[in-house]
Amino acid sequence: MMDQAPILIIIIPLFAALFLTLVGPLGPRFAYGLLITGLVGSLGCSLLSLGLVLDGNQAVQYRLGDWPPPLGIELVIDHLSGVVLVLIAGCALLTAIYSLRTAEQDNPDRLNHYYALFSLLVTGLLGMAASGDVFNIYVLLEISALSSYGLLARGQGPAYFATFKYLIVGTIGACFYLLGVGYLYIMTGSLNIADMAAILSQPELQESVSVRIGFTLIILGVWIKMALFPLHAWMPNAYSKAGTTTACLIAPLMTKVSVYIMLRMMFTLFSADYVFSAIVWSPYVIYLASAAAVIGMIAALAQRDLRKMLTFIIVAEIGYMTGGAWIATASGFIGATYHILADGLMTLCLFMAVGAIIYRTGETSMAAMRNIFQKMPVTAVIFVIGAASIIGVPPTCGFFSKWYLIQGAAEAEAWVFVAALLIASLVAAIIFFRLLEIAFFGDLDTTGASGDHGHSHQPVATLRAEAPLSMLIPMVITAASVIILGLYTKEVVNYFISWSVPLGI
Amino acid sequence: MKQLTFIILIVCALLMLKAAADLPDWADPASPASTHLSPDFLEQGYVETATPNIVTVVLADYRSYDTMFEAVVVFAAALIVMVILRHTPRKRGKTILYRPKREGRDTILQGAAQLIIPVMQIFALYVVGHGHYSPGGGFQGGVIFGASFILIALCFNLRFAIQRFREQGVLVCVAGGVLLYAAIGAICQVMGYNFLGYTGLASILGASDVMARSYGILAVEVGVGITVMSVMVSLYYDLASSGDLDEGL
Repeated sequence: MMDQAPILIIIIPLFAALFLTLVGPLGPRFAYGLLITGLVGSLGCSLLSLGLVLDGNQAVQYRLGDWPPPLGIELVIDHLSGVVLVLIAGCALLTAIYSLRTAEQDNPDRLNHYYALFSLLVTGLLGMAASGDVFNIYVLLEISALSSYGLLARGQGPAYFATFKYLIVGTIGACFYLLGVGYLYIMTGSLNIADMAAILSQPELQESVSVRIGFTLIILGVWIKMALFPLHAWMPNAYSKAGTTTACLIAPLMTKVSVYIMLRMMFTLFSADYVFSAIVWSPYVIYLASAAAVIGMIAALAQRDLRKMLTFIIVAEIGYMTGGAWIATASGFIGATYHILADGLMTLCLFMAVGAIIYRTGETSMAAMRNIFQKMPVTAVIFVIGAASIIGVPPTCGFFSKWYLIQGAAEAEAWVFVAALLIASLVAAIIFFRLLEIAFFGDLDTTGASGDHGHSHQPVATLRAEAPLSMLIPMVITAASVIILGLYTKEVVNYFISWSVPLGI
Repeated sequence: MKQLTFIILIVCALLMLKAAADLPDWADPASPASTHLSPDFLEQGYVETATPNIVTVVLADYRSYDTMFEAVVVFAAALIVMVILRHTPRKRGKTILYRPKREGRDTILQGAAQLIIPVMQIFALYVVGHGHYSPGGGFQGGVIFGASFILIALCFNLRFAIQRFREQGVLVCVAGGVLLYAAIGAICQVMGYNFLGYTGLASILGASDVMARSYGILAVEVGVGITVMSVMVSLYYDLASSGDLDEGL
């Protein structure tokens, strides 16, 4: 049974989605229970698969339909994808537990269909991370994208418009990826990543223009999907208008999985050698990444809507990871990979905390932060932990990923990227200290009706209204894992990430 | 902004043309696509699955896992349209789109439909079943079958069609088709093979390994057909009545 674990990771949430479609008459609580059961099963199987990988210290392969790899499709779970699978399944499970109140609030009817889409999205993300076949990645990319359109469109007000934009841009991104895969298929005749990698290492294909264009198209498509700086315009509106649960699920995971796909394409399908010597535009990506980090953070500083601010922070974080991957040093790669985990957790932590604050106060602007330490002390502390990790304060994981990234950038003498990282961290500090100032002293900018609350030293509305337990438990777990991941950085890097550092950098 | 878009488009087009210069010629028998995996598929496909149509073999056996998720994409589309349209709270005073009402009896239309629809449905089943031998299969057959229900809705009216194929039934079929597909994969697992390893069906069906693959292909094609058929119907119901499922085109 153990050897079936890799496929069960993906199949269990798929079955959950199919059953969830049909269980409408059984009521929302049953749907909730079914979703949680499915995700627990999936998380269990991801942990089992990761255990299998660690046992043999080599990639676990799973042949679908018992066909040998280049003919059939295979799943490949190695140290990197194993960790990413656990991250996805874990974050999805935490979000599912968290959704007990918010999902019902956002979806007064047809909650089971909402949960079915939720489960389909998780299926797509897990399938992408586990897949060892470029076309299979495309199919699952479509599933995760489609279900995210459906989930995002269930938000309030202008969500339809923002989602429609995302739909157009996301489809273009997927098309670029597919075109690139098409070029590579014509040149290699294969779709299996390992097989293609072997064929692509032949000298005549290393020189081929078509292969280079294919690579460029794939990377462009993935960049659109992960919202790298000039291609990020679809993201802030789509994510900030979404329902709370949707935002908690999609914001931490979608972009991170795209980054993972980028790393796979760069270093597993192609090689570090090819990317950094044959591709003429690769040295300029660092500037793009630096611009993403700085501009994303500055744009976040300009926002007054809490969730929109967080989405712009994601734009900046994507800049960190892209830069880490393209500076061509081992520390940079470790930093980028570690940051996938760290950013997934800390973004989830912040989105959950902000979701709880919005749930209790009903406000989405920064004014919601007023007196938050009196009103919701636990949520406020969790928010501070997430914020500390984004800024990069030592015991949290955000500090260590930044450490590796800066170290890698310094080794590569990419001083622009070092400067961008430092500036972005400073701006992040400003963003969050401003929020803390509002939390303790009130919002000095707002006048009028709310002004007298803000200016008085004895705030009026300080009734305790902590978030419900169903939200608090997953939030506390997430915040704890942000710190635990930070404390065990060395182990995580040694046992998992250092195995996947590509040859040649 | 428009000029910028234009420039970007031109640059993209030039890049792709440049890449195309390097590609092998059309239908070049020496191109990697026809020398690397295709010979294996062509030579082994019939021997291993007893199915002459190699496209079907690649689609529903070698790359069956992809096809399952293609069916899931179709399923997701129906689910999303339902989630978006059926959910919209009905405001009074909302502009109702033009909905022609069909009153009375359109003898010619309905008479013709009564003649055509049974033939269409039998042909659809033939297309699903004959995918082993000729172009066809679950996706195509499902579309034809779904079209027959849409024809009913067009020639009679939406209510008439919904009475015969209710929303709950459509929903069961939408999920049921994919469920059939995935369940066949899971049965193979229970029998000790990998997911979608149709040889696992051999002992259940009492057939040889090769014939079990052939039956496995047929069964998943039927699953795809059910999903595609009901997704067509579901999309039509929701779109034609903008989610109200009462009157419609």
